[in-house]
Amino acid sequence: MNLNPEFQRQLQLEFSQARLIGVPLILGVIFALTYIIDDYQFASVTTRSALGLFLLMVSFWGARQAVDSVLEEQRSHTWDTQRLSALNPWTMMIGKLLGSTLVVWYGGVICLIIYAISAPNATNFIWVCSYAITSGLLVQNLSLLLSLCALRKGQINSNSIIIGLAILAAFTIGSFIIPLSESSQEIQPNVNWYGVNATVQFVSLMSVIFALFWCVVGNYRLMAQELRIRTLPWVWLSFALFLILYIGGFIPAEKFGDYFYTVAFSICLTLSYFAVFTEHHEPMRIKRLFTYIAAKNWWRSAEELPLWCVTFVLAILVAIPLSFTHPADIEELHIYPLTILLLLLRDIGIFLFFNYGKNPQRAFSLTLLSLILLYGVFPSIFTATKLKGMVVLFLPLISDSMVLSIFCMGLQSALIWYLLYKRWLESV
Amino acid sequence: MINVEHLIFEYPNLRALDEVSFHIPQGSITALVGPNGAGKTTLLRCMAALEQPVSGDIRINNIDVLEHPRECHRIIGYLSDFFGLYDRLTVRQCLHYVARAQGIAEEECATAIARVSKGLHITDRLDVLAGTLSRGLRQRVAIAQAIIHSPRVVLLDEPASGLDPEARHELAELFLELQQQGMTLLVSSHILAELEAYSTDMLVLREGRIIEQVAIKATTHTQDFKLTLASPVANLAALLQQIDKLIIVKVEHDQSALLQIQGDSQQQHDTLKNLLAQNLPVCEFAKITSNLQDTYLETIRHRS
Repeated sequence: MNLNPEFQRQLQLEFSQARLIGVPLILGVIFALTYIIDDYQFASVTTRSALGLFLLMVSFWGARQAVDSVLEEQRSHTWDTQRLSALNPWTMMIGKLLGSTLVVWYGGVICLIIYAISAPNATNFIWVCSYAITSGLLVQNLSLLLSLCALRKGQINSNSIIIGLAILAAFTIGSFIIPLSESSQEIQPNVNWYGVNATVQFVSLMSVIFALFWCVVGNYRLMAQELRIRTLPWVWLSFALFLILYIGGFIPAEKFGDYFYTVAFSICLTLSYFAVFTEHHEPMRIKRLFTYIAAKNWWRSAEELPLWCVTFVLAILVAIPLSFTHPADIEELHIYPLTILLLLLRDIGIFLFFNYGKNPQRAFSLTLLSLILLYGVFPSIFTATKLKGMVVLFLPLISDSMVLSIFCMGLQSALIWYLLYKRWLESV
Repeated sequence: MINVEHLIFEYPNLRALDEVSFHIPQGSITALVGPNGAGKTTLLRCMAALEQPVSGDIRINNIDVLEHPRECHRIIGYLSDFFGLYDRLTVRQCLHYVARAQGIAEEECATAIARVSKGLHITDRLDVLAGTLSRGLRQRVAIAQAIIHSPRVVLLDEPASGLDPEARHELAELFLELQQQGMTLLVSSHILAELEAYSTDMLVLREGRIIEQVAIKATTHTQDFKLTLASPVANLAALLQQIDKLIIVKVEHDQSALLQIQGDSQQQHDTLKNLLAQNLPVCEFAKITSNLQDTYLETIRHRS
């Protein structure tokens, strides 16, 4: 039988005989204990334990397995062999994800069986199982995605951060799923999406499934890039458009016109920040980009284009209609689209400035520190010293004058990008 | 087989490869030599499509490596200087995985494993965990992984580091065997004596530039000889010029000379006979053997 070689290798490594016997044995002991606590029957303690153990296993252990399936290759110097193989990105990704986590699902299925036996009411059983399984898959896929990003950035010891995030995800899912499992009430539709009424549970499940889909697509794309397959940034653009349309559907029909562009603009900004913080930024990539642009090789230029540029351009496009809708202020903050774009440009410039420095590993923490100073400390100092005019320099959205806010941010952005350009020239 | 044109690769603040151009013929074993930091590993990684250069052109078997890296991966075998093995798998499992990952059908894997393990003398280690192997055996397993799919081009970065003299000799024999099978090999190494045993060509890289490409085992047989006489003979140069198929490189004090003889060993015998026929008091007539190290050092000296 021609099994997926990566899947087969992961099984050989992770699905050992010891685990095959050990996992049900340990779970058996735990459930024997809960059975005794429950007065020699499968009742609430067993139900909660089964669900809790399932979430911990698929999230914590599953995330660890998924992360190791990528980062361990780099640490063991076997990644080049894999990159040179004839395996396509899909085979490689599925092999890693399913092969490394199969042992986790083996334990997970045992937990779900115990849950099915001990659940006091079967009203939400299908919901709970569907939500638990898709959430587990999402956490594992997300972990693989983050580990591929870490690999590209050369941060091969990021296991603990990613697994920490996975544990956080497990608790978040648990806080939703455990009350759902204990509820015996009929679920009423209470969410409206583009005029379609649905329950919170259904919408949550669909959101998790969509998130899972995009995670799989993201993993495929990152794996393709690792295997040196050339890619254009259309997937990132599609993801941004999907988010705009999907989240836009939750805006009440009567306020749709007022808020749609604000929501779309916010999504583009968030994605731009996300892309710039997760992508690997090397000065040589920009040099290659300029070389291709100079040679009018637009296809290659698009391949080298940083992802944040895509959502930034989309944000500019959304900013045009947004400017005409005169969005309402949020408390003391005015929504000046151009100022916000310049603000984003300044922050990206700061991050890239640190990235092109001698210690790019510290770029994120240095940027975070800079942003705390710019958004929090400096405005507070000027507020405390009654120099309110100076506060506008750092928080331009509080200014009643749009022109002044654009001038302040334009000045800062120009300064940062000038310094960034100088640093980039020194790097290449 | 391999054509590299104007290849430029840059690290921040460092041009690792500067307009590198060369051609490697099919079936050759080319030694890639140069001091530390010359750019050997970067060049091999670019050729294996693992790194993306700023500009230039690499063609292996007419495949544009930069445009079609995945197609290139199918016809090359690459051994990194910092290779790794799956320590928790047996050697057989490691080779089976790489064979399958390189597209070899399940039913043909056993044959492929048997072939490479025989060639690398690891047949008796197939069921041993890779993590328990010595450095030398690990190197052999890694080479077996690199060639299991019978690639047309094999790129090896320091393949003999950590091997004992016997293993190095076996490696040289293996490379010659691969060459006979039609493979083209590019081998980077610091140990020039080891490269000498099998290299047909030498590529000298220094500070990111190719400073020399020479054929080591040339097909034309011109051999350097040293002639020493027991006592000086007047007009030695004129006497030597009368001898057929003899090139005089240098004559010193009418007593010694550096000569080049065109032809095979019969021609060398005839030359010696002619020298004696001229009544020259020959006390030494010896071949001057120039090894890879001499050639390399001479190249470096000339270019520095």
